[in-house]
Amino acid sequence: MAKYTDLSINFLGFPCENPFFLSSSPVAATYEMCAKYLKNGGGGIVFKTVGTYIPDECSPRFDYTRKESTSFVGFKNMEQISDHPYEQNLEWIHQLKKDFPQKCLIVSIMGMNEEDWTKLARDVTAAGADILECNFSCPQMTKEGMGSDVGANLDLITRFTKATLAGTHLPVMPKMTPNIEKMEFPARAAIKAGAHAIAAINTIKSITGIDLDYYTALPVVNGKSSISGYSGKAVKPIALRFIANMAMDPELKGIPLSGIGGIETWEDAAEFLAAGCSNLQFTTSIMQYGYRIVEDMISGLSLYLAEKGFNKLDDFVGVALPNIIPADDVDRDFKIYPSIDLDKCVGCGRCYISCFDGAHQAIQWDEEKRQPKVDEEKCVGCHLCLHVCPVYQCITPGKVVFKGQDQFGLGSEAKYSENLPNSREIQFRKAHR
Amino acid sequence: MSEAKDKYLKEAVAPYTPLTAMEEASRCLLCHDAPCSRDCPAATDPGSFIRAIRFRNFKGAAEIIRKNNILGGVCARVCPYERLCEEACSRTGIDIPIEIGRLQRFATDYESATKFKALDPVPATKEKVAVIGSGPASLSTAANLALLGYKVTVFEAKAKPGGVLTYGIVPSRLPQYVVDEEIQYVKDLGVEIRCNIKVGRDITIEKLKEEGYKAFFIGTGLQSSKTLNIPGADLKGVISALDYLAAAKPTNGNCEVGNYVVVIGGGDVAMDCATTAKHLGAKKVTVLYRRTREEMPAYPPEVKHVEAEGVNFIYTFAPEEFLGKDGRVVAVKGKGTRDESFVQLQADTVVVAIGQQADPDLPALANFKFDGKLIISDEDKDCRTNLPYLFAAGDIVNGGKTVVKAVAAGKVAAKSIDEYLTKERAK
Repeated sequence: MAKYTDLSINFLGFPCENPFFLSSSPVAATYEMCAKYLKNGGGGIVFKTVGTYIPDECSPRFDYTRKESTSFVGFKNMEQISDHPYEQNLEWIHQLKKDFPQKCLIVSIMGMNEEDWTKLARDVTAAGADILECNFSCPQMTKEGMGSDVGANLDLITRFTKATLAGTHLPVMPKMTPNIEKMEFPARAAIKAGAHAIAAINTIKSITGIDLDYYTALPVVNGKSSISGYSGKAVKPIALRFIANMAMDPELKGIPLSGIGGIETWEDAAEFLAAGCSNLQFTTSIMQYGYRIVEDMISGLSLYLAEKGFNKLDDFVGVALPNIIPADDVDRDFKIYPSIDLDKCVGCGRCYISCFDGAHQAIQWDEEKRQPKVDEEKCVGCHLCLHVCPVYQCITPGKVVFKGQDQFGLGSEAKYSENLPNSREIQFRKAHR
Repeated sequence: MSEAKDKYLKEAVAPYTPLTAMEEASRCLLCHDAPCSRDCPAATDPGSFIRAIRFRNFKGAAEIIRKNNILGGVCARVCPYERLCEEACSRTGIDIPIEIGRLQRFATDYESATKFKALDPVPATKEKVAVIGSGPASLSTAANLALLGYKVTVFEAKAKPGGVLTYGIVPSRLPQYVVDEEIQYVKDLGVEIRCNIKVGRDITIEKLKEEGYKAFFIGTGLQSSKTLNIPGADLKGVISALDYLAAAKPTNGNCEVGNYVVVIGGGDVAMDCATTAKHLGAKKVTVLYRRTREEMPAYPPEVKHVEAEGVNFIYTFAPEEFLGKDGRVVAVKGKGTRDESFVQLQADTVVVAIGQQADPDLPALANFKFDGKLIISDEDKDCRTNLPYLFAAGDIVNGGKTVVKAVAAGKVAAKSIDEYLTKERAK
């Protein structure tokens, strides 16, 4: 078996060297930036949204959510579309295609009206783009008919998609807003209007925090602030949910998806692929760490796929979808007791506190020995203890008991079955990665 | 300032920033039973103040520390953590303990930097209490009594208050501004500190009673250095550890430390003397200790630090004679304590750091039980002496332990004095 799996993948007809793309954002704003990333090994880029007008940006324009020592748990930005002159952008796009013909060049556009969309599509196509991304989703643009309002308006989606198609022969991919309950509806509207793929998610409307001296949202811009887009690791679970919903939607079957939202490591990337994406985009992690992180995504993903026996990336796309089921269909016939390894236990009592204050009072605490003990009568197998335990592999999934097989209601003990959906390995991975 | 002197005055351990403090605090397992708190002699409650830092409640952290330990900033720097809270830390079961001392220092520094005061003065409506000596045990007793509403006066024989904190512990471990700030803290609670008054010499306890003092606390510590009875001990250049340190710290290091310095002894005071000599420009500093490194009582992390500063250590040798020329010491002759070896070290300065003892004038102060070395009292229980109005704690009772132990004993003493005066009042 090969040690590495080749990461090349076809996206909307373009043979990409790998699925890792810069998303339309500050990280893909100039020729120099995109060129540097492509030289670092990226499969392609989505050039920062080109429009026919130049926005006036504010300062400062970013904020982030921190958790203990981790900054950028989530990231907020107030930037709008490209603030470079239109002709300059077209020139850069032209030069990028000329210098990197093997790399996929997606260009994001945003018009103010139908005419504008058509003109942008025509000019960008002429400049050398391979694919067009329609920005229907920037949450910090509040002019009528622009920004994330478009992505929530089926009529505008239809009209602007058609207007874009009128100006190009290239594949068109609308980028959707997550500031909506169901993304399937706008996605269907876009596809019905002729779009070829869907990119999601754009940033989530947010207030990262309130400044407790100035009493306004962050960042503080001359004493005031506004709601604007949230991105980064914190939005990944939300992005994955939208992606999976669209990937499983019968009306969107076979529509390529470009996944965006908190991708930082090869594992994040693999998760989006498993949820049905055949292309991946990222910005926040690049803003924090630079283009070089794509090197770890490439090697990490490639090694992982080889380890799992996937010969090509395509075979991995959507592998998780059959296993994502409605809540009502989840197997509720058994419970898995936690198993506490007292040799590893350091006696902190965190499992005891969390079980008492946040679960089912099913862990007893020996004050003398500083040791926890599971009370199987009370334990429901929720595994909160396993998640809060700070010691590696101290609390693990243990004995499996099937419900209701015993007339006394105690359940019968079963040998641990590898067919059970919560395999030991997955539990470890989740708890300790 | 010379680089070496900068080292003498500048705190050796870097402070945390709010971010690094939270980072360290988030390593804390937040144990259910907080063994760190259990093992702090002064009940400073690290389990609670680390959690406060972890959840960004820095002022709350300072409040927890200050309410339990009036010398929180001092203890943060001089406590032997590795033998106390950090030894108890559960995180040790995973990797290394939480740096509790540095976190405590962060919280007290934060309190000072933000001009936040966790403790407010209480109106002094109760009896007058005299506290004799102004080291950690006395400061702790005084502050805790003031918080109970007593009118406390501290009498200090020296020119500056603080005892060992001011005249002993080197600035690189305990900068003087920290001591000054915490003494000011005690004063702000209403405690009056009168320096240059030696009770027993300048004023008697009887006289103080006439002035209305109803209870007395003795926390004079062990302020005389023990001496060596060997040939050459009276040569010029042979100096006691306490005199050596006392010449350096109050002058910010503007003193003569010698070029070839031999420090006799292996305790924390000996380490401070070696550091002082090295940082203030001595060419060669050697510690001569009669037992092995493992048996040496100095706090091991400090020993490592002193070694890293380039101080030589010679173990299992005791001084036999100090050789002199024209009345001044020129060498130390040492003899192996475990074998027949001999050593001769060039020395223009010999610092004798073999332990401290009580001030010889102390027994005359009052008719308390004195075993020849120490005042008889149980500082863990009540700090009472045989005289009902007289209480004692700290090194003069325990023979020389830690600052944190003195702070803890001061809390006991204050409680005990309060009980005594409350009873007297009811009579």
